[in-house]
Amino acid sequence: MTNTSTLPRGGGRSTAPGRRRARPPHKASGLPAWSIPYVLLIPGLLVIGALLLYPLAQMAIIAFQKVGLVQISGRKPATWVGLENFANILENDVFWSSLRNSVVFAAIAVPLTLILGTAVGVLLQRLGKKMSLFVIIGIMFAWAVPPVAQGVIWRWLFDAEAGIINWALNLLPDWLSSALFGRADWTGEPWLNDAWSIYMVLIICVVWAGFPFVAVSVLAGLKGVPAELYEAAKVDGSGPWRTFRKITFPLLKPVFAVLTVLSIIWDFKVFSQLYVLAGTNNREAYNLSMYAVTEAFKAPPKMGSGAAIAVVLTVILLIITAVYIRQIFKQEEL
Amino acid sequence: MRIAKITATTVTTATLALGLAACGSGEEPPTSSPSAAASASGPKYAGKTLTFWRLGDSNPDAKKYTDELVAEFEKQTGAKVNVEWIPWPQVNDKFTAAAAGGAGPDVTEIGNDQVPLWQSQEALEPITDIVAAGDQAQIPKNLMGLETIDGETYAVPWGGGSRAVLYRADWFKELKIEVPKTWDDLVAAAKKIQEKKGSDVDGFAFNGGSDANHLLGALAWTSGGEYAVKEGDKWVGKLTDPAFKAGFAQYTGLVTDGLSSKSRLNQNTTEIRTRFSNNKVGMYLTAAWDLATIEEESKGKVKGDKLAFFPLPSKDGGEAQSFLGGNDIAVWGTAKEKDAAKEFVKLASGKQWGVKYATDGGLLPVYPEALAALSSDPVQAPFAAAFAKAKAFPADPQWTEANETKAVLQNAARKVIEGKASADEALAAANKELEDILNAS
Repeated sequence: MTNTSTLPRGGGRSTAPGRRRARPPHKASGLPAWSIPYVLLIPGLLVIGALLLYPLAQMAIIAFQKVGLVQISGRKPATWVGLENFANILENDVFWSSLRNSVVFAAIAVPLTLILGTAVGVLLQRLGKKMSLFVIIGIMFAWAVPPVAQGVIWRWLFDAEAGIINWALNLLPDWLSSALFGRADWTGEPWLNDAWSIYMVLIICVVWAGFPFVAVSVLAGLKGVPAELYEAAKVDGSGPWRTFRKITFPLLKPVFAVLTVLSIIWDFKVFSQLYVLAGTNNREAYNLSMYAVTEAFKAPPKMGSGAAIAVVLTVILLIITAVYIRQIFKQEEL
Repeated sequence: MRIAKITATTVTTATLALGLAACGSGEEPPTSSPSAAASASGPKYAGKTLTFWRLGDSNPDAKKYTDELVAEFEKQTGAKVNVEWIPWPQVNDKFTAAAAGGAGPDVTEIGNDQVPLWQSQEALEPITDIVAAGDQAQIPKNLMGLETIDGETYAVPWGGGSRAVLYRADWFKELKIEVPKTWDDLVAAAKKIQEKKGSDVDGFAFNGGSDANHLLGALAWTSGGEYAVKEGDKWVGKLTDPAFKAGFAQYTGLVTDGLSSKSRLNQNTTEIRTRFSNNKVGMYLTAAWDLATIEEESKGKVKGDKLAFFPLPSKDGGEAQSFLGGNDIAVWGTAKEKDAAKEFVKLASGKQWGVKYATDGGLLPVYPEALAALSSDPVQAPFAAAFAKAKAFPADPQWTEANETKAVLQNAARKVIEGKASADEALAAANKELEDILNAS
């Protein structure tokens, strides 16, 4: 028994230096040193190509074709229709109201998410360790709620008859409610009929679920700012708002840049929450994602026009993101 | 386009005929299985499995019927049948997924107004030979208007369903309301119910969901309106006609006059039924198939003599026109076991199981003698009466798109109810869109 246990130990000791000697780094790869980064990139590129670029290219192709069920199941080839899909959607009123809804929604929801997130991030920095942890865990719950569940939660809160919002508004003293909203009775107020009130609920829902991520990212950025800067500012008599504008904001600019781009992308293509809140019947409340989905997948499916809408949405996002990122780099150079 | 379509159909038919001929010549299957070689009455599809989609909610009556039918089919042919239940609001999405290459059925139940759409998507197998022979030859041909396209039949009528007003008979009795004879009576009854039962109760429920046109259609047809008529080979919209407008005004009036809450503009019959089961609706337009589900949903509280039907009254008395609804049974185009599937359709739609399907499921049988026998049935008589006057939606493959996907009239009604457009403006826009959709190739 003792023999068997010592033998491998001895063997291990003898081979270890040998292995090190036998494999110098250059010979092992057999590739010139300059190519190694590119070779290492190949798996990632393959994955991105297969999962992102190929579907994206397919979408762009389908946008110029007539593709219905018969074509998808392979019984007939897809036919090229040129710009017909685009012409059809551009002359449809639903497209323009969807575009308006998408843009207005993002224009309101993105700043709100960022402002609220930043404010909470700064607050977290100032809180004590335990309290800060408590708040972080609390808000992260909101962030962790899946989009469909977010929709369901807010739909219930704003329900016309059983909703807590109408109940709470009715609890307000009549004079206060009348002074604020011009009415005292909120019984059965339908929040999810009109496009504007649906989007109000949607903004609340998306900001509620989106700000924790911003808050935590800002907090992470703040942790990296040297405390001396703040002390110096204090000594020079700078107030909190001035400190934020002159010290925090410039230093966290890269963080804000990323958060803004991400928020724009997320808010522009919001779908699940809207689907739950508004349903597919109310065409006035469509945004571009909803419009694309109903065109492409509701019977009878028109994948061509659905893809055309998706292309428009993608192009809009690319332009906004490109302009924004350019802006940031320009400012950095100055 | 038209010519191309006809050619395509002819070619399919020819191929099919060849296929059938090929099957016919090879009468003896080269399988060694003894059961397959057995006589026609024996288990000739032993070991095969069919998938059968039943539509709607699986209530006890429907489930019992389906189990019995499946057991009978298994006894006769040896084939196993998997039954899947698809709720009505999901049907078109499920069909879409199946036709796009997803998991589909071999045999499916299908709404008769959906047949033109799914035929145009080449998702249904022609089964003209089934309706030409046997029991099925007795089904009146005028019931197959939606199912017969370019001379081929794609589905067998299984049960007819016209609609009538389901109401809480116990509430009517308690509040001393007479069964409405005119539309004004109905409005008054609805108001009284709301007054006594609470403002969150819908006196007469507004349907603005996927099957909204069953209600709107009934009202519009009764006042003499039409959705669209075919002139030559083009559909001409009739939504702006005064007759249709009158029905549309009644329809939107359900909400603007407060009979139904403004917060539920999207609800379909399924959602209304759930509210009815929970004592939140006084009356709504539906058919007898809801009765069993209501009893189940209300945990046995709302059933029996608490419920009754009356035919939807017209403006000046008399019965309204009803939607000629109906459920069909069809063989799915990509069925793996087509022969067994056809055998199943033949059995299910035959006189014995076809009539049983209708009577067990609260529908009207498509066999004339069985239908005639119903005029003495207290529950079914209102439907049998309505069935005689029933009308159908435009028989066009694009109708489903106008009806459900684009929800053209639901959105027009929404605009009027919210005061964003006058009925004239909303209907003019809807009329143009309806024409565009129906006339699209």
